[in-house]
Amino acid sequence: MKPLKILSIILLCSCFAYGQQDMPSCKLLGLDGETYEVMGDFSVPDRLYVISFWATWCAPCIVELEELNDVYEEWIKQVDFTLIAVSVDDARTEMRVNSFVKGKGWPFIILKDTNQELKRRLGINDVPHVLIVKNKKIIYAHTGYTAGDEIELLETLKKYKS
Amino acid sequence: MIYSFLPKLNLLILSQLILVSISYAQGNEKKGTWVGSLESNSQYYFEDKSRMVVPPDQPFRSNTYLSIQYNLRSWTAGLQLESYLPNAILNMNPQYKGVGLGTAYINYKAKKADYTLGYFYDQFGSGLIFRAWEDRSLGINNAILGARIRYNPTPFLHLTTLGGRQRSGFTLSKGMLAGLNAELEVFPLIHKSNGSLTIGFSYFGRYESTYIADPNFKLLTNSFSERINYTKNNFFASVELVQKSNDAVINNLVSINNDFIKPGSAFLANMGYSKNGKGLNLVWRRLENMNFMSEREPTIYGFEQSGLNYNDKILNYVPAINKQHTYSLSNIYVFQAQKLVSIDPFANIGKAGEIGGMIDFFYDIKKGTKVGGKHGTKIELAMSSYYNLAGSYTLYPPDYSTSWITTGQEYFSDYSLEITKKFNSSLNGNLEFVKQSFNNRLITGAARVKIETSIISTRWWIKTGTKSSTKISFEHMWASSDRKNWVEGMIEYNFNGHFSAYASDMYNYGYDPDGDLIDHITDPFDIHFYSFGGTYKKGTFRATLNVGRQRGGLVCTGGICRYVPPSTGVGLSVIKVF
Repeated sequence: MKPLKILSIILLCSCFAYGQQDMPSCKLLGLDGETYEVMGDFSVPDRLYVISFWATWCAPCIVELEELNDVYEEWIKQVDFTLIAVSVDDARTEMRVNSFVKGKGWPFIILKDTNQELKRRLGINDVPHVLIVKNKKIIYAHTGYTAGDEIELLETLKKYKS
Repeated sequence: MIYSFLPKLNLLILSQLILVSISYAQGNEKKGTWVGSLESNSQYYFEDKSRMVVPPDQPFRSNTYLSIQYNLRSWTAGLQLESYLPNAILNMNPQYKGVGLGTAYINYKAKKADYTLGYFYDQFGSGLIFRAWEDRSLGINNAILGARIRYNPTPFLHLTTLGGRQRSGFTLSKGMLAGLNAELEVFPLIHKSNGSLTIGFSYFGRYESTYIADPNFKLLTNSFSERINYTKNNFFASVELVQKSNDAVINNLVSINNDFIKPGSAFLANMGYSKNGKGLNLVWRRLENMNFMSEREPTIYGFEQSGLNYNDKILNYVPAINKQHTYSLSNIYVFQAQKLVSIDPFANIGKAGEIGGMIDFFYDIKKGTKVGGKHGTKIELAMSSYYNLAGSYTLYPPDYSTSWITTGQEYFSDYSLEITKKFNSSLNGNLEFVKQSFNNRLITGAARVKIETSIISTRWWIKTGTKSSTKISFEHMWASSDRKNWVEGMIEYNFNGHFSAYASDMYNYGYDPDGDLIDHITDPFDIHFYSFGGTYKKGTFRATLNVGRQRGGLVCTGGICRYVPPSTGVGLSVIKVF
């Protein structure tokens, strides 16, 4: 039976040669209590969307978003993009998200993925995890954060700007 | 259930063939897309003579997960293969053994409906009556195998109905489950556009037969949740009420008693006000007998050791609601929500739940002000206290009656002030003060120790080049009893954005063998918990290697915890999203 198992896994993995990654569709709550559809509600043709998965308990996520907050106005002048910060806080800390975000003064669009449905559909294991999406296609992704990662993000945004 | 009639391997091959055939059968039509991820966490345990830590019989252990999804137009199919070879890492749920298909599903999205057959995750309300989710670090995967339909008859009414059985390792638990959830957005219905008002209702039921000849409880246990959420401009508020019908209570973590039948309930209220630069949030929660599992009794593994210790077969999500600290020492005395009933006259304990709350305040001192400096300063104040339910508790016969409002003895409190400041483009700093109180006797029912702690922690990020940086942290905890004081230092250097290395040491000093200790056996001396290692990351690939000592205790994620035994060893973690 063992070779059968291995064969089936190889057969499965061979399919990865096909296709490229679309952004999946998912309904998430916004800070205003409204439901938003990713990416249906964020699908301006050729616009660049930076999607950052974060949580109130994730120190590197907060450092990364604070860093982006600091350079946001300057970057917007160079590349027109929209930053969507998707909180994966579950019921334990989800209630803190509204006050936390406002207390930080973040100007980003905030969505709540409370039971990690979008995170799971993208196969994301850990936060922080950052994507760049254009025309509903994922054109860049990185996981984890170390100081300086934002430079690569800006370079990628400039490379793909219309 | 289909699953129980099919051998594990056949289902594995069948589900892969479904995925493959969807992929190839499309011929020249638009190709679908694949999403996948691979995660592997391995440990090799050493002997550590000075700690008297002996490695397990199989010192190398590994948990590996391969998750794959295929999306084609409105269809999605996915599966997760899991391997725990040669054995799962220490103290995971014993149900995780060998290699097998963890989950598999097929989903179809129509304009107004969404159909799933196979394993699925979901949550009703805040999860107090039902949440199916995965947390690999805790060994939780309580997905439901069955069918789910989500239906939106109008854009402002969301309905979900589901049924099936719950996963426990590579098998299914006995309880038959069914649920219904409805969320109605009221304002669009009455053509009001300013703000949002949502009303929610959920039902979740478990049917399980019993070996008890003449049970004093019904085989079907029902739970209900009613919710209301309101948001307008800068104000938001929500209330959730939960009821669980009469059911046999688990006492002493292992078994039920036909003479101890009680209902459960919960109340959760949250309100807040926030506008740019400031935020206030208040939470109040009361829980009574809110343990809810897909089987009435947990699997027993030894004296007072059962599936409850491994979060096996849990149906609902009852996390502790307090600030989730990011520093190590603030997570030594960590509180778990008290949802179980325990009546133990020897330890002088009678408890059936908890009552308490949390206040959070966030403030951004603006850029350009004297205190705010060039980049602003962020302040976060968090306060939480949780208490036993005041009431009367008797063991013979087992019973209790509780007050709805009055608090009993305090379980735990946590007060913290955190300040974050960016000094310039190369220097970021964070400073936190924490005061905690942890009533071990009342929380764990074991040693009669109450610990008061004061913790100061600081963390600095320093950019040393375009892509290189250093992270340094220092923490100290003064504790009134147990193992007494702790100090921790950590340094991490990031060479080029891809490779980083770290070294840390957590030193516990002031150990007194005659003092008030929670545990007299593990590491009975002052001890260094050293650790060092490195990480390589590029895009969505990350590999981490570390060597060091693991403190025995609770490892918690999202307020749910798993006990980790003391160990020394080397760990390798590899993650790739593709």
